[in-house]
Amino acid sequence: MSLRLKLLLVALSTLALPWAGWQFVRQTEALLREGQEQALLASAGTLAKAFAAADVVWPAVPVLYLHRLAQPMAVDGYADDWTELRAYAQSLGPPQDAQKLRVLLGENTGGLYLLAEVRDATRTRVDARDPRAAQSDHLMLTLARGADTRRYLLASAAPGAFEAHAEAADSALPERLAGAWQEDGSGYRVELRIPDAPRPDRIGIAAFDAAAPGPDRPEPRALLAYDVRAARSLGALVPDHARARVVDTDAWLIADAGELQAPASASRETDGWFGNLVYHSMIAPVLTGSAALAGAAPRIDAAEVWQALSGVAATSWRAGETRGEVVLTAAVPLRTEGEVRGALVLEQANRALPLLANRALFGLAGATLAALVVSGLILLAFGASLSFRIRRLRNAAERAVRTSGRLHGPMPLADAEDELGDLARSFGKLFDEVGAYTEYLRSLASKLSHELNTPLAIVKSSLDNLDHQALPADARAYAARARDGAERLGKIVRAMSEAGRIERAIASAEAEDFDLTALVAGCAEGYRALADGRELRVRLPAAPISFHGAPELVAQALDKLFDNARSFAPADGWIELSLAQSDASAEIRVANSGPLLPVTMQDRLFDSLVSVRGAVARNAGETPHLGLGLYVVRLVAELHRGSATARNMADGRGVEFGLRLSGMPRRRLSEVRTDA
Amino acid sequence: MPRSIAIVEDEPLIRANYVEALARLGYEVRGYGARGEAEAAFSQRLPELVIIDIGLGDEPEGGFELCRSLRAKSPTLPIIFLTARDSDFDVISGLRLGADDYLAKDVSLHQLAARISALFRRMEALRKPVAADNVIAHGPLKIETERMRVTWNGIDVPLTVTEFWMVHTLVRFPGHVKNRDQLMRDAQVVVDDATITSHVKRIRKKFIAVDAAFDAIDTVHGAGYRWKP
Repeated sequence: MSLRLKLLLVALSTLALPWAGWQFVRQTEALLREGQEQALLASAGTLAKAFAAADVVWPAVPVLYLHRLAQPMAVDGYADDWTELRAYAQSLGPPQDAQKLRVLLGENTGGLYLLAEVRDATRTRVDARDPRAAQSDHLMLTLARGADTRRYLLASAAPGAFEAHAEAADSALPERLAGAWQEDGSGYRVELRIPDAPRPDRIGIAAFDAAAPGPDRPEPRALLAYDVRAARSLGALVPDHARARVVDTDAWLIADAGELQAPASASRETDGWFGNLVYHSMIAPVLTGSAALAGAAPRIDAAEVWQALSGVAATSWRAGETRGEVVLTAAVPLRTEGEVRGALVLEQANRALPLLANRALFGLAGATLAALVVSGLILLAFGASLSFRIRRLRNAAERAVRTSGRLHGPMPLADAEDELGDLARSFGKLFDEVGAYTEYLRSLASKLSHELNTPLAIVKSSLDNLDHQALPADARAYAARARDGAERLGKIVRAMSEAGRIERAIASAEAEDFDLTALVAGCAEGYRALADGRELRVRLPAAPISFHGAPELVAQALDKLFDNARSFAPADGWIELSLAQSDASAEIRVANSGPLLPVTMQDRLFDSLVSVRGAVARNAGETPHLGLGLYVVRLVAELHRGSATARNMADGRGVEFGLRLSGMPRRRLSEVRTDA
Repeated sequence: MPRSIAIVEDEPLIRANYVEALARLGYEVRGYGARGEAEAAFSQRLPELVIIDIGLGDEPEGGFELCRSLRAKSPTLPIIFLTARDSDFDVISGLRLGADDYLAKDVSLHQLAARISALFRRMEALRKPVAADNVIAHGPLKIETERMRVTWNGIDVPLTVTEFWMVHTLVRFPGHVKNRDQLMRDAQVVVDDATITSHVKRIRKKFIAVDAAFDAIDTVHGAGYRWKP
């Protein structure tokens, strides 16, 4: 894995920052919410105490709730005008089947209205005046006012209006009650009007089913109605932008005040995708409040209310009317004299994302993100710079290895002060050593040859003198052998100093314009005689190639390549010489059949003193091959700004050497030395 | 009377060999091992030919110094340089010390003897008037074979003996290509091809110094050289 990738992975560790920030934000959000809950609970508690001090008459349970009726009622026995209230009908049936009788009691300016629905599949129809009425299906209604009680038997043989007469008793309560009777297959329905004056304060109703007789003496229940006065005093106490509702122990609404209204400041803003994200992840899971708290219902059947009524305060959050609004509910028990009489429900609407309303925290989130991005970028940049510097060092090292320790210019990074600089300096030292050693090796040959020249001269001149002396025949033979040895020694010494001579020749080579095609053609002609039985194929372009270079050096390089090819090609093999021009350079190829080059040697063939001729048998008397020929070729190529290559031919036919030449740079007139 | 030759060579064994070989050929030979020794002797009596080894003892330039002082005494004294390094050839040529020839140290005694006799012949010829039938003229080039003197457009071109023989070979058959072997044989040297190449280069340089437009020597790559007709 590259350094940059590793640093990037390390940079990923800074992701801990936004994660920590997110956790912080969540915690703060939870704390803020909790704070609000506590505050609202405290408000509700205070409100409850203040409210309990006001005069509220708490009727004894169970109660019969007196609904407020909005429109005038038609007493027709149909429950059309009771539709909104149907859900709140109280079940007053016998203990084993409370749902048998469902009762609704309402009040408007016209008086009290009663709707009673009885589920009774078996009908025994009888009129009220019928003496058998007490044994047939009927409803028994009890009105009570103070100590005054009156009972009415409600029965009708047929649907339609009917009259209920009270049982004989002297009472202020009405004698007759007019109502309407309707029935269908599953039961019957009674709608009744009870005059307002005198107003009863307790009402009881029970259904008697002929098929399942039971007691029909209803227990009157106290009436519980919405208390306007209590609502007014509540209204004086309720805080702004909050709604308070007071319910009794059965969750019937006694009073309410205030309005749920989110703070006007920022209700219509859309929060965008970030807001949605935060909403879904942080807010939505918390909105567990009961839906029954919404709206204005006569009875609040909500878990929070039941909890408060059991004596323990409760809070909850629920989604508000509009998107982006949440409602906080606090329900506290209302106690008088230590007993729980009811509950106070206080609600407050808020913006869904109180945190986002807090600009500072949002800024913090943004700043954290920015810090993450910046630190990530910085780390990446640093990693890139580090990896770039290391790559520079590596490239320089590879260049140095290729040129056997000879670098042009100083090692990069050598003056840096950090560990990379140390490394670069160590590399520099290493390459200096390598370079010095390579230099020593290269010059060893010429130094040795130089030293050998003098003793060789002594031997040769002595042998020359010996030739002129009178020697016996056997002595002459020895003298001849000594001369032979001296000759070979001389050749070796010459070969050893050849590299140095070539380098000097190349250094002082002067370029001229000449025809490369003619040169190669001339050389090829010369080689024909030397090919010695091997087939020589020559491919030259038809047109002359104008070239700026040192012709004698090019010819020398060609000679070396040909000599090489001839040595390795078998006696029945072939040698191919070709010249081609491509864009700005000329390419000379010398190929020969024969053994292939070992793969490991292909790069090093053109180095000084490298020879692969071990495998080829050497004739007696031949000078040993010192491996300088290809080195010369490379030097000539480099002088002409080209390159020398060697490769095994793709089909294994043989080996091909390529010499690419671009031409020597033209020297400016001012540079040309004139021998003074 | 035998000619007197002086050899200045610091390596005693080589000096001894040369002295004995040349003495056998009939010359009167004296050998000197150091520059100071030689100059002291020369200040008393100049020999007729001097052979100088370039690297004399501790002084790498000792031979050149000696040559200069000799030339100051006699502009026509034949001087042959011997050197172990081929690189010195260019140096010598560049210095224009007026050496008559320079040879590598591993030259055989036979070749050295040929040089010496040629130089003496030349000295003789220079004393006599020019013999017309010994002059080869070819365009602006004039060769006086006995005097071993070459002129181009009338201007003298100072060539060494080796170089003179090479030019002579080329000019004798203008237009013919002479390969390196032939040049070597006629110049009576046995050297490798690279040395021949540098000799020809030096010849060209000397001609160009006299006439910048000189291009009479043609290189036929792979074959050899020829004098343009």
